[in-house]
Amino acid sequence: MPRPTLCWVAAPGLEGLEPPALAMAAGLDLDQGGALEAAVVTVPEVQAPDKLRARLLGRPVQWLDLAAELGGGGEGHRGQRAAAALSRAAGRASLGTLPPLYSPQPNQRVLVAGQGLAALAAARQAALLGHPVLWALSGDDPAAAGAGEDASQVAGLAAGLPEGIELAPQTELTNLTGAGGSFTAWLKGPQGTARQRFGAVALAPGGAYRAEPAPPGLAPDLSRPLSACQPASLASAQGWRQVAILAGVGQPATAQGFARALATAYALQAQPGVQVTLLFREALVAAPQGERLYRQARQAGVLMARLGDGEPRLADQGRTLVWQDQVLAEDLELAPDVVFLCEETGAPWPGFLDNNLLWPARSRLLPEHARLDGGRTARAGFYVLGALRGTPAGEDRLAEAAAAVHDLHDLLGGGAAPLPAVRTLTCARCLTCVRVCPHGVPEHVEDHIQPAPAACLACGICAAECPAHAIAPPGWSTAELMEGLACGLAAAPAPAMVLMACGQSAMPAFAELSRSGHVWPAGLLVLPLKCAGRVGLELILRVLSLGAEGVLVAGCHEGMCRSVTGNLRARLATGQAAGTLSDLGLGPEAVSFLHMANNQPQALAKAVEAMYARLGAVE
Amino acid sequence: MHNRGPRRVGGCLEEIIFLSALDKPVLIIGGGVAGLAAALELDRRGLASLVVEKGPNLGGQARGFCCKALEVCARCGACRVGDLLQQAAQRPALGALTQALAVAAQRQGAGWEVTLIPQEGPKPTSPALALERPLGERLLVQTGAVILAVGHQVFDARKKSRLGYGRVPGVMTAGELEETLAKGGLPGQARRLAFVQCVGSRDQALGRLYCSRVCCGFALRLARLARYLEPGSEVTFFHMDVQDYGQAWRAELAEMRAGMRFIRAIPGEVRPGAGGPLAVFAGPDGQPQEEEFDLVVLATGLEPPVAAPALSEMFGLTPGAEGFLTGGQGVLVAGSAGGPRSIAESIESAAQAAASAAEHLVSGQAPSPEVAHA
Amino acid sequence: MRLNDCDPSFKHEIARQPGGEGIKTCFACAACTARCPVGSLKPEYDPRRLLRLAILGRREEVLSSPLIWLCCSCQNCSEVCPQDVRCTDVLTAIKNLAAAAGYAPPSGQAMARQLAAHGRLLEVGEFENDKRAELGLPPVSEQPGDYQALLGLKPEAPRPAGEGA
Repeated sequence: MPRPTLCWVAAPGLEGLEPPALAMAAGLDLDQGGALEAAVVTVPEVQAPDKLRARLLGRPVQWLDLAAELGGGGEGHRGQRAAAALSRAAGRASLGTLPPLYSPQPNQRVLVAGQGLAALAAARQAALLGHPVLWALSGDDPAAAGAGEDASQVAGLAAGLPEGIELAPQTELTNLTGAGGSFTAWLKGPQGTARQRFGAVALAPGGAYRAEPAPPGLAPDLSRPLSACQPASLASAQGWRQVAILAGVGQPATAQGFARALATAYALQAQPGVQVTLLFREALVAAPQGERLYRQARQAGVLMARLGDGEPRLADQGRTLVWQDQVLAEDLELAPDVVFLCEETGAPWPGFLDNNLLWPARSRLLPEHARLDGGRTARAGFYVLGALRGTPAGEDRLAEAAAAVHDLHDLLGGGAAPLPAVRTLTCARCLTCVRVCPHGVPEHVEDHIQPAPAACLACGICAAECPAHAIAPPGWSTAELMEGLACGLAAAPAPAMVLMACGQSAMPAFAELSRSGHVWPAGLLVLPLKCAGRVGLELILRVLSLGAEGVLVAGCHEGMCRSVTGNLRARLATGQAAGTLSDLGLGPEAVSFLHMANNQPQALAKAVEAMYARLGAVE
Repeated sequence: MHNRGPRRVGGCLEEIIFLSALDKPVLIIGGGVAGLAAALELDRRGLASLVVEKGPNLGGQARGFCCKALEVCARCGACRVGDLLQQAAQRPALGALTQALAVAAQRQGAGWEVTLIPQEGPKPTSPALALERPLGERLLVQTGAVILAVGHQVFDARKKSRLGYGRVPGVMTAGELEETLAKGGLPGQARRLAFVQCVGSRDQALGRLYCSRVCCGFALRLARLARYLEPGSEVTFFHMDVQDYGQAWRAELAEMRAGMRFIRAIPGEVRPGAGGPLAVFAGPDGQPQEEEFDLVVLATGLEPPVAAPALSEMFGLTPGAEGFLTGGQGVLVAGSAGGPRSIAESIESAAQAAASAAEHLVSGQAPSPEVAHA
Repeated sequence: MRLNDCDPSFKHEIARQPGGEGIKTCFACAACTARCPVGSLKPEYDPRRLLRLAILGRREEVLSSPLIWLCCSCQNCSEVCPQDVRCTDVLTAIKNLAAAAGYAPPSGQAMARQLAAHGRLLEVGEFENDKRAELGLPPVSEQPGDYQALLGLKPEAPRPAGEGA
């Protein structure tokens, strides 16, 4: 085992602590400028000077943001906490795991499948950033716009296509496997199906209009989709006098759909002899110019009719709409000559993503999730853009495509975490990792588990779930974490407690509190994680068996985990641990889970306090 | 002009190093959500940038927002500020200057030369991040492209004087309620809450004929959080229309409708009552009705940034719709400076601004970036 | 009520009247209702409701309604209206249309008759002028001509120069 050296880099927040004394307390050598076997550095990697980084190259290092962990208190108190934290880091460093020296280069090719503004913008941006792009078009014309898109905007962008885009007309993506840096795509074109390899894939099918359902019972000859009223002069030609437009009645409308209904109502109302009534539940005016369109339509004379639940009712063999006016509180009837139904743009979810063992359900791949924006999906390197995602046409689609391309450029350029290490001899090929990894990193290839080169976020869910301890992101195996915790707990004064802190929520909040001088209990040992998903039942129980009196796991709120289910897995593990403890006749209150966000430091401070109060009560 | 040696530009040595040793081809004015996101997006493209923030802290207005999750995330985006700050701290190529104000700009080739001056102001509210370095003295920055990310300003509720803000005790803005909730609870013994929507939005009389887009979701999530923190509290929601925020929102909204009183009317007046502010509104029978609340919360709209006219003049931009900023040659707009946008939308719009800035650098033959002492 | 039987041109007609321009922009937020002092005294009176009836094109119902004459022109509604409808002015426009259609209320018609006959809302006779003389005030003569012209009962006569007030 390499003996770690303490490299002390002056950082704000460590004032008053003496490196030699701490090194001694933690059983570390203090850096004297000599050779290093392994190291603990007391600042985050990005803040270390280049010279030190060069010296540490190729050696196991634990980067410990000590200032984020210490908090306030007297010198003795802080010294005690620092010694425990340093011991923890030293324990991990002493196992000496290095990121793999060799990892496969991510494939740099980008596949853009689809048509319209989003596909065009993605292909353009990826090519501008130097990626070879294959653009699989559903039709022939790269300048074709999707439903609801501004044709001149699309044509303008398509006019100046950069070099590096290979067009594959009339080609459809029929199947896809893999993750960031290593995708395999099945492309069906006029010449048949071909299999190709890509580093990243953006799916952006062109949108089509879909009309909302007509009210049940409406005479079928009356209703038409909104686009069937083009041009507006049709109204006079048909001799329509009373025109009804339903917007957001059969199903909720979007602001874009509603704006289109308003514009249409306005155009029809301008026809001589026509009276338009717009029926809706809510006036959705949040689209650009939405409120202006709403006012213009009223000014032109369009009747606005708000409906309640279950309205409109139908009378006269489905030829008369009946609803209660919300101002007058009396029934109004309208026998329209024609009923137009508002349309929304959308695209069908591709079949290969459904009913496919290799892809998670849509709700897991593309959850409505604050951290999965910019076209991203849970699968790293795979993007869903434009109409398929429900992104409004126009600037929003351009922005989404740009964000997606920046993300893939970053991933393929080395922005992903180092490849998880797979111990082939211990691996039982049970495929648990393939099943649980939210980002699609491990792939089962020729009886091996082969991680995709540019997809891992080091969430550690695979390491927590693998029954054989055969896979873990480098530095995050159970063995390494336990070695660190064992050393840390040995140095921490009783009662010792471990906080397992998610790097997206709990750790930033903990660091903020520490920096503002919050005094943590002396025996509180922090385990900073990338994601709470790394916590498993085994880790919690082993920490307790090492003598920790309590374990608090803090992860994101439900629905904001960057790795989709990491927080839920951690919560489940915490519950299982509590169950195990009560089965053994021990207090289940020794473990608990906290849902929090990075801007809720007070919730974390309260939970730690409560845990300590409980530990005191148990004793 | 192309002397790259260290020059004494700021007060302290660190500043000299980080300004002159790195190329900063893009200048980002505003260090809020959009500014930070633009800097990160540029960094993902391999382009360095300099963020200039007039206040003492990065993160902008959203840094003071609270998490609106109960047990489940409400997707309000407030925690994204923390994410951005954390990511920015890990990107060494990203530079930021706080308490710096852009006061003049001159076109130089395809790029700009921008004058920055130190801005005296309040001390940082939260512990300073490594990124937050105050500008020492006047500085000239030559840059290939500029991204304006100066955010929005919130409508001054005093202009709707009938709603009692600033006059009637117990009337506050949604932003103020947010600050209170961020500190951990409802003020005092507030149990009866009224929310008034569209204060300063959808208002032709005020010349604000646009929907501020974010307030419905913002106010309803605040209301839900308030009910969660004080389980006995009752919420009345005065509104015209509830805007739509997608599939997951609709399910949330259905729950909110079940637990709160939604009244489709805007109160005409709020005046002091015996035990709290008294709202006068049209009842269901079309008659004026009075009701007393403990708190009346005004959902104030988003307005163009204060700096919009000055920046438009500085960079020769034509004012955009409703007074928000629009871009020009080598000048891009990100976030709510360009129109009402949520946090998530601001972050996405920053990606587009970054992409356009990068394209401008290539096509516009921008001069090599340079920082000089004025 | 069947909208097919309503008069869609009514709202345009009101909008063409001076002061009536704002009618169509009302989006029924009810701020006017909340602020209306008449509404708090007379339950049936709701300015938003009157506007809604007019927008729906229920011409006869609006013009014949005695409620339109209750507006006290306090302009509270105009002050709070976010859509700049200027509800008081719209009601004035509606009242003008109603009067033109012969729906002026009996009290208003009586006042008009009084004005046309006497140039005042009360008759000034010898009795009053005697009282004025006792108080040292000059006598008042009835000059209904101007009012008759205003009420359209006779062509407008040129006013003699110097006759003010």
